Amino acid sequence: MNFRECDLPGIGRKFVLETRSGDKLAIIVHDDGRRELYHFEYDDPDQSISMVTLDDEEARYISAIIGGVTYKPRSLESIEVALDDLIIEWYRLEPGFSCVGRTIGELDIRARSGVTIIAVIEKNHTKHISPGPDLRLPPDCIIIAAGEREQHKQFRHILRNGCG
Amino acid sequence: MNHIVFEVGLAIALVALSGLLAEKFRFSVIPFYILVGMAVGPHAFQIWHLDFRFIESAALIEFMGRIGVLFLLFYLGLEFSVGRLVKAGKSIVTGGTIYILINFSLGLVLGWGLGFPLEEILVVAGITTISSSAIVAKVLVDLKRTANPETEMILGIIMFEDVFLAVYISILSGLVLSGSSSLGGVLLSALIALVYMLGLLIVGRKLVPLLNKALNIRSGELFALVIFAILFLVAGFSETIHVAEAIGALLVGLVLAETEHVKRIEKLIIPFRDFFGAIFFFSFGLTIDPRTLGGNALWYSLAAVVVTLLGNFIAGILAGRSAGLSPRASSNIGLTIVSRGEFSIIMANLGKAGGLLAILQPFAAMYVLILAILGPLLTKESKWIYRTLDKVFKFESRHVKRKAQKRTPASEEQ
Repeated sequence: MNFRECDLPGIGRKFVLETRSGDKLAIIVHDDGRRELYHFEYDDPDQSISMVTLDDEEARYISAIIGGVTYKPRSLESIEVALDDLIIEWYRLEPGFSCVGRTIGELDIRARSGVTIIAVIEKNHTKHISPGPDLRLPPDCIIIAAGEREQHKQFRHILRNGCG
Repeated sequence: MNHIVFEVGLAIALVALSGLLAEKFRFSVIPFYILVGMAVGPHAFQIWHLDFRFIESAALIEFMGRIGVLFLLFYLGLEFSVGRLVKAGKSIVTGGTIYILINFSLGLVLGWGLGFPLEEILVVAGITTISSSAIVAKVLVDLKRTANPETEMILGIIMFEDVFLAVYISILSGLVLSGSSSLGGVLLSALIALVYMLGLLIVGRKLVPLLNKALNIRSGELFALVIFAILFLVAGFSETIHVAEAIGALLVGLVLAETEHVKRIEKLIIPFRDFFGAIFFFSFGLTIDPRTLGGNALWYSLAAVVVTLLGNFIAGILAGRSAGLSPRASSNIGLTIVSRGEFSIIMANLGKAGGLLAILQPFAAMYVLILAILGPLLTKESKWIYRTLDKVFKFESRHVKRKAQKRTPASEEQ
């Protein structure tokens, strides 16, 4: 994939993709949340033929469609993803949370809430993919957990209040 | 003094109206703010309660304009990061260097050619060298050119100019504001300024962890108070030791840019920057008496405009070529960065604060007015301008030839 990104100081960030089908697409993410998509001429890569401006909400929706989240292209339908009730959530541990400094085992997360911790990412970007029970939750880390809605509610409670 | 709120309200209303007018005609707002400031002022008239002379509130409006400069430069410092400049890449450094070399030299030659004394020459060169980041960024977004290949180069050159501006204002304010006439005195005050600035940056960097903790304030109100206190204290103190307050503000921005709170500070500052920035252009207009705009000031500014157009276009073509852009994209560079605005006025105000020749103010006013209006127009019509110039200079065919020449040795090897 021929993919490039760069900063546009004072404006935002620019992503350029030259697709395998020979198109050139540029996406500008503006600092104010707007997104612009530009499509360039085949034979003159300096001239944009068309462009679309999206606000933040529209961009999120479109990205979901392109990502195949809301509508599954035919070729993906065979892969049955049971994502109906399963929710994957990102949690950032705030300084006041009681769970900071305790291990996953001490907090007894799986038994008490039912969620599965997929990964813990520390502030310095150290990743613990599917961590064991003896991992101590560092301050300011991000926890990615999978579970159903009710289970997430329980889990949030444990994070905030520790063993209660 | 009892009508002061009403007078300031009138001033803000005028600025707002001129801004709306500019939007309606799809023009850049900056020249409109200046024009409306020039239209009123001490020579204007008074109708009943509406005093368009702004005599009572002049000092206050001027002060608001000064605050506007602080916010503009503070924000510039926040946005700027050394990492970004390092990442910018070789082509942008080359392009930026080409631009500054050509245009700064031309500015010096222009000032010298107009028969100004040394300090005035330096101010004129400053006025004519530095583009308006505000206008350029806005024009690029408005004309939907953000995705164009030359835009990276344009923004890179603008970033380069910001660095040049910071260094140059520091040196110049040491020279112009020191008030000492002997060479030794000037050098001493320049040295003090330099040590102070470096000290502020070095100490500031050391303080970043401490600042991170200190600024961890939940309440928005207290956060704003603390930031403003730091900004005004440092900027104000800088001025007491002959370092332009604008530079003090810029340095505060540079230091706070290294903290974790930079995004929150930016959010806080933007509305203040926009409001006081607009007042800054208006108050600059207020200080210009339209009757001084004729005669020499006009001719000088027209000469400067011609020199700037040429210098920017040539620098853009060369910078673009060095980065391997097509001739059309390269011509866009020069036609975009030709807009002038806030920084030229800051330079002119520095000259005024140093008690230099009075003609600098109307000169800068005319120059900025012309290029703040002409610049965005040139950017908009760049396609047509390029076609016209191409008929004369044959950029396109030469570009194709150069490409072919580059290819021939390669093909011979095969």
